[in-house]
Amino acid sequence: MAINTGALRGGRPEAPARPLAASRSRTARRILLDRWAARLVVLGGVLIIASILAILVVIVGEVWPLFRPAAAERLSASLVGGPPAPGDAVGVDEYREIAYTITSDSLQFTPLRVGGRYPAIPVPGLEGARITAVGESARGRHLLGTSDGRVVELDVKFQVEFKDGKRVLTPQQEFGAPVALDPERKRAIVRLAGVVTGSGPIVVAQVGPRDLVMQTVVEKKALIGAPRREASLQALPLEVEGEITAFRLDGRGDDLILGTSHGQLVRYDLRDKTNPRPADRSAVSTAALTLVQFLNGDRTVVVGDGAGAVSTWQLLPSPGGGAPRLTRIHEFERHGAPVVAASPSRRDKGFVTADAAGGLHLNYGTSGATLLRLADSGGLRGATFAPKADGIVTVDEGGRLSHWAVHNPHPEITLATVFAPVWYEGYAQPEYVWQSTGGTDDFEAKFSLTPLVYGTLKGTFYALLFAVPLALLAALYVSEFMHPSVKAYVKPVVEIMAALPSVVLGFLAGLWLAPLVERVVPGLFLLPLVETACILTALLLWRLLPLRLRQWVRPGTEVFLLVPVVIAGAWLAFGLGGLVERALLGGDYRGWLLSALGLTFDQRNSLVVGVAMGFAVIPIIFTIAEDSLANVPQHLRAGSLALGATRWQTALRIVLPTASPGIFSAIMIGFGRAVGETMIVLMATGNTPVMDTNIFSGFRALSANVAVELPEAPEGGSLFRVLFLAAFLLFCLTFAVNTVAELVRLRLRRKYRYL
Amino acid sequence: MEAPVQIAASLNPHASAAPLMETPMVEIDRLSLWYGAKQALRDVSMSVPKHRVTAYIGPSGCGKSTLLRCLNRMNDLVDGVRTTGTIRIGGSDIGDPGRDVTELRKRVGMVFQKSNPFPKSIYENIAYGPRILGVKHRADLDGIVERSLRSAALWEEVQDRLGDSALGLSGGQQQRLCIGRAIAVEPDVLLMDEPCSALDPIATAKIEELMLELKNSYTIVIVTHNMQQAARVSDYTGFMLLGELVEFGVTRALFTNPRDKRTEDYITGRFG
Repeated sequence: MAINTGALRGGRPEAPARPLAASRSRTARRILLDRWAARLVVLGGVLIIASILAILVVIVGEVWPLFRPAAAERLSASLVGGPPAPGDAVGVDEYREIAYTITSDSLQFTPLRVGGRYPAIPVPGLEGARITAVGESARGRHLLGTSDGRVVELDVKFQVEFKDGKRVLTPQQEFGAPVALDPERKRAIVRLAGVVTGSGPIVVAQVGPRDLVMQTVVEKKALIGAPRREASLQALPLEVEGEITAFRLDGRGDDLILGTSHGQLVRYDLRDKTNPRPADRSAVSTAALTLVQFLNGDRTVVVGDGAGAVSTWQLLPSPGGGAPRLTRIHEFERHGAPVVAASPSRRDKGFVTADAAGGLHLNYGTSGATLLRLADSGGLRGATFAPKADGIVTVDEGGRLSHWAVHNPHPEITLATVFAPVWYEGYAQPEYVWQSTGGTDDFEAKFSLTPLVYGTLKGTFYALLFAVPLALLAALYVSEFMHPSVKAYVKPVVEIMAALPSVVLGFLAGLWLAPLVERVVPGLFLLPLVETACILTALLLWRLLPLRLRQWVRPGTEVFLLVPVVIAGAWLAFGLGGLVERALLGGDYRGWLLSALGLTFDQRNSLVVGVAMGFAVIPIIFTIAEDSLANVPQHLRAGSLALGATRWQTALRIVLPTASPGIFSAIMIGFGRAVGETMIVLMATGNTPVMDTNIFSGFRALSANVAVELPEAPEGGSLFRVLFLAAFLLFCLTFAVNTVAELVRLRLRRKYRYL
Repeated sequence: MEAPVQIAASLNPHASAAPLMETPMVEIDRLSLWYGAKQALRDVSMSVPKHRVTAYIGPSGCGKSTLLRCLNRMNDLVDGVRTTGTIRIGGSDIGDPGRDVTELRKRVGMVFQKSNPFPKSIYENIAYGPRILGVKHRADLDGIVERSLRSAALWEEVQDRLGDSALGLSGGQQQRLCIGRAIAVEPDVLLMDEPCSALDPIATAKIEELMLELKNSYTIVIVTHNMQQAARVSDYTGFMLLGELVEFGVTRALFTNPRDKRTEDYITGRFG
């Protein structure tokens, strides 16, 4: 604060201001110090707020790419030799440098980044026939069907070399010998699907509107000499109306999914290769089905129809039990024209669908979302999703290739997949699942944060259920009834408990408490009842004692007399627990829990965490609550006591309500601590991300999840960013809790502001 | 400091002049009290007459508040207190260890130096004592609240805002609320520990007026620093010094004609 010396001098002339000269230097120094101290304080506060905001910015910066919409741009369009053959006649290498198309008589490689083109490679052994159908059996492996009923295998590879630090790609192709599927070699192959299974390749070809033939090759390894190949050819019975308009084999060769011109989807069970039969059929659409495609992993079928509808189907157990049936999972955004091609991503459940009018949709199978809509040239005949899911190559009827770059690093993440139930492959209904790795690439990682939020709240709930009553009652006792000389020891000791590293608590909980609790669960549940009964009995006996004996104990130190009572109560409770288990629970409480209540028992469960985390939270709640109780003005207590209230009535009716703002803060700060607690939940819960209220099962908390998974998450990947989202949630949760706590505290404080 | 003449001029005209004819309400016999090793009361003996205002005056730390707090055993709350001697209220010994102290405090109400309304509504402040005593019916409580507030001369001011927080009242109103709260449990004796020391003169005048009103129903014992106040409101006055009851008698007599030299020195302002 600056002193206006001029104003001081300007007083009445007959009463001059006290001369300031003597103290001026000291005053100046004081003002300077004052100013700098104030600035330092402001600086400190600003720095703290800034660093918290900086943390928030970093977290949000890592999370934001998850929810950035997909983007794509057309990089180039180039004309290739001729119109593509029907079917899966287009492909691209994983660096999107060279695409290839299969035309009616040749294989054509086309560079995508530079101009020019490779010479066309004629398909050998055609003998004047045309290629009328192309099927892709695996990546780069195509089956070419000819107009005279034969099939040629084609294997396309790209050899990658690095010369002078530059990548050089060389396309390579390998043609197999033609095999006749129509023995008379009269009927053209209209559509073709093939797969290589563990027992040998299977090829299914459509040779007429309603005629399917299946060739199975069984390779038998002989002890000496080359393996014997036994090929068998059989016609598949068609038991539906209309014509066959699309079909596809799954990667295991177990199922043939077939679409008809009447909009029916038929599944053939091929597990018994000698007797293939239609297993189930579903009406999908009124229009003809133009497309059947499997997503990565061969569990989900994408079906497109002549009206532009796209849906996904999975083989799920029937609701009433019985044989599994194809079940509709998602309906995608409609195309404006018949769907002509679909290409799955090789790394996730995304896929591209193309329609005849040039519409391209980028869909995601699990979420059912259409992420991107693109307009390509009209008359599309084929589309392929680049192996790294970062590009699309399409080909139209005029043989024009279009190359799209797609930027969509996290197609599987939307707000809905993170928080809402998701219908994953192989699940009977939508569920909340956290499973950060699928084991194989065929199964996707499942990132639902809901079970983790649930776990965090569950752990917090059980911890507070244990800690709040104990801590508050202890605070009330210590502040209102305990002898000050005892309190002088008790309070610091409890506060030291707060300094106990939580890793030690977690370690003890997981390795010592959990097995211990497992042995005495029935006793543990009897403990509160038995202890209460014991203590009340002890108090009653105490009251019956003659006054002279009672006076030996100093007021406020009676609590020590209760120590043996509490120990005896615990002993009694655990003894009774054993008896109860033997007499009422059939000698095995775990069996009883499962049969009577349907609860499973995990050794590391919420009960153990509740107790361990309760121990971490008790000192905080106790200390803050005790402080606020002790800060209740003494004259309020005196006022109440002077009216003839007992100390208990005073504590309950005057002290407790007056201290309620502080007690509320105590609970909220304890809540915040329990929410953010990591090591205890990490070590004592088993970390199973399940969602149930069962106190005997474990859970996985957000904080523990971040700790467990972050070291193994590739930087920038979906898991990495989802973990940052979990951190963001934790941040928001504690921020919200603390804000609410502060607001309520201020409100309550205003109410008591005149004290 | 005031001259004795002035004090005498402000003497309570209603004060009785015949002490020996009174009925004793509180009888203190050879009361000594120690806080740890420090002796705070030395061999105090006196009796407080029924339905009169008795004042204790004396310099700070002379033990007058301690003596007052002995009457409802509020000193029990202080650690390391030891007493000898007896106090009888209405004929029964309050020092009996088997005696329920809460029972005593219901009979001996107290008003503190600093007004201490509970952080509750005006209504709940008055109803607190009766509720403790087990009064549950709303109609009974309503009656008690109105009667107590009327007795405390506060009813007119607060009757239409009984639900408001008592903390919003002015200092004088708060103190009258505390008096109302104390008389809501209908005690025999009302102890007042410097009840006006934090109040302005107008609020003080109101409380003094109230005391004169209340002494018809209650026996009032007041500790005050303000000798004029003692002279104005009390019938009897005790002068205490260093834990000793130096002189006790009819107020007019004590102020106009003190028997002890120390009393005279104090009331004429030579120390204190």
